[in-house]
Amino acid sequence: MLSQCIFSVETPVGPPVEIIRHTFASNLPKPVKRVSLVAGLHGDELEGLYICHRLIETLKNLEEQNAFKGEVHIYPAVNPQALETGTRLWPFFSVDINRTFGQTNTPSLPSEISKILLEDLKSNSDLAVDIHSSNLHLMELPQIRIIKDFEKKLVPLAKFCNVDLIWVHPHAEIFESTLGYSLNQAKIPTLVIETGICLRINKNYCEQIVLGILNLLQQTGTLDGDEPLANVTPPKVVQPGYVTMIQAKNAGLFVKQTEVGQIVTEGEKIGDLIDPVEGKVLEEIRSPCSGLLFTLREHPLTSKGAPLARIATEEPA
Amino acid sequence: MKEKVLSVPTAFGAPLELYKNSWGKSGHEILSIVSGLQGDHLNGMYLSSRLSQFLDSVVEGIDPNYTLKGQVISFPVANLNAIQSGSRLWPYDGMDMDLAFPGNPEGETSEALASAIYTHTADSYWGIILQSASPHYEDAPHIQVTKLDGRIKKLARDLQIDTVRKLNETSKVSLFHQWYAHDIITVTLSAGSPRTLNVQQCEALFQGIVNFMVAEKILKDKRKIKPEENIKPRFYQPGDEVAVLAGTAGMFLKEVKVGTAVQAGQKIGEIRDIYSGKRREEITATANGFLVTLRQYPIVYEKEPIAIILTTKKSWREYLPWPTRRGAN
Repeated sequence: MLSQCIFSVETPVGPPVEIIRHTFASNLPKPVKRVSLVAGLHGDELEGLYICHRLIETLKNLEEQNAFKGEVHIYPAVNPQALETGTRLWPFFSVDINRTFGQTNTPSLPSEISKILLEDLKSNSDLAVDIHSSNLHLMELPQIRIIKDFEKKLVPLAKFCNVDLIWVHPHAEIFESTLGYSLNQAKIPTLVIETGICLRINKNYCEQIVLGILNLLQQTGTLDGDEPLANVTPPKVVQPGYVTMIQAKNAGLFVKQTEVGQIVTEGEKIGDLIDPVEGKVLEEIRSPCSGLLFTLREHPLTSKGAPLARIATEEPA
Repeated sequence: MKEKVLSVPTAFGAPLELYKNSWGKSGHEILSIVSGLQGDHLNGMYLSSRLSQFLDSVVEGIDPNYTLKGQVISFPVANLNAIQSGSRLWPYDGMDMDLAFPGNPEGETSEALASAIYTHTADSYWGIILQSASPHYEDAPHIQVTKLDGRIKKLARDLQIDTVRKLNETSKVSLFHQWYAHDIITVTLSAGSPRTLNVQQCEALFQGIVNFMVAEKILKDKRKIKPEENIKPRFYQPGDEVAVLAGTAGMFLKEVKVGTAVQAGQKIGEIRDIYSGKRREEITATANGFLVTLRQYPIVYEKEPIAIILTTKKSWREYLPWPTRRGAN
């Protein structure tokens, strides 16, 4: 494994901020495929870091067995200062780096970093995976979210990744400044994995994705091997219109009564929304349909309109 | 007239209420003004309150010089929770509210607020967004636009603010973009830095908005006095902007003021090492021009912009060896 610093910047009082890329080179003169894995764009999403750690560990062993027909690049911590403070945003700038890709107006250090990262990925990748956890509010079942425009190219690749769900959803303008969208626009197929919740590591989910990525590397010819490296389970592919979102009708505290990954039936209780001051139950939250519960509110403090759960249904929602 | 347009229940107390100010009778072309999209942009909120005070006095007949002929709407505080938290963003969701438009009435708090603001201003003819500079910077009072068509140029001229900066496209989910896409003639007025109030800069923009309202006959100036001097704005393209970058990290001590003209090579400030106090770098202007943005927060990282200079290309007339009517000083 070769480690290279792709960006370094001096800080006012501490060590420099550096973005590191680890490369597992191909044994062939021309790599079959160049695959890049990115984690830590948001500093509070730690599962991507753990997945990268497990992958580096495994790939180092495979490197000794000359298993690389393609090239693998791992960028395990692309927002180091946010990661060190455990915050979504780079604290000094209060900027979400994953909203600075593409055209920006004011020059800034975060937008400079996103430009360099994007260019580095573009010049080193035929395929990319951007790993995220959910925010502080929602727990997510391991899933890949794909914008409808990129469905044809991405769904077959996403099926290799051992996620529970592939959610094909309509394009929204907010995605246009993200890394995943920018790479897909640049014709580099990029899968955006969403799993678990921020500031925590769900080991089972992470191991599931590690197996999925190893399978992706093998299926794309990046890794050699007649024996499958991992047995993966086919995901549920959910089209737009087949997802029901439950939103809070009141503000209060949400107390859940189930877990993500459950198959719920119509009318089944998911939790209560309570008034913490008056001691009342404001709403009994029940599933309006049957299906796979793939998102569930974890942060109890809930505002009106906040998402409480998402259910993938068999029938159009 | 202050009117409640949205009430959002909260978990622990009284509901969060969004208010709109409006003046004038319907049937006229509407000017909408929004401030406080970021909770620490205090200049915009102050300027909006200054306009409220002024328009109230006009409507109540206390101000002898003006009569209101048109219609004006203002949302002085958009991102209520961020303002109450004393921060740029609402810590609970950490979202930039200016990435929530056109909003969703059924959505979470920020989306519901954005939706209410957008819905109540959607019929406007003109839209003005009031803001401060990005975090750590100070802006000279100036106008920001994304297109320079005839209608925008007229608005800029009517405001009589001398610096107009054309930016690249804004995010499609910003209020600016949504207004513009809805055929509302939209500009942003930017001045000062976050978390500070600069009354002098606000007064410059306040006078600009009054000039604009008079020019567009939203206000009638009974005095019928001609302004002493008509300010002709200078329009800057994105390519006219030059960023001066820090070559080292440390503490930046500025030696110039934002909003002044600088010459190439002129010292803007210096960066000192925090431990030794020694000078690490002298920061100089890299071009002649107008200093529209200057670093305000002293701690800097290497490669960060310290200043933005708006440069002007010389007109061909200025190269002529003899004075011309437009090129003459």
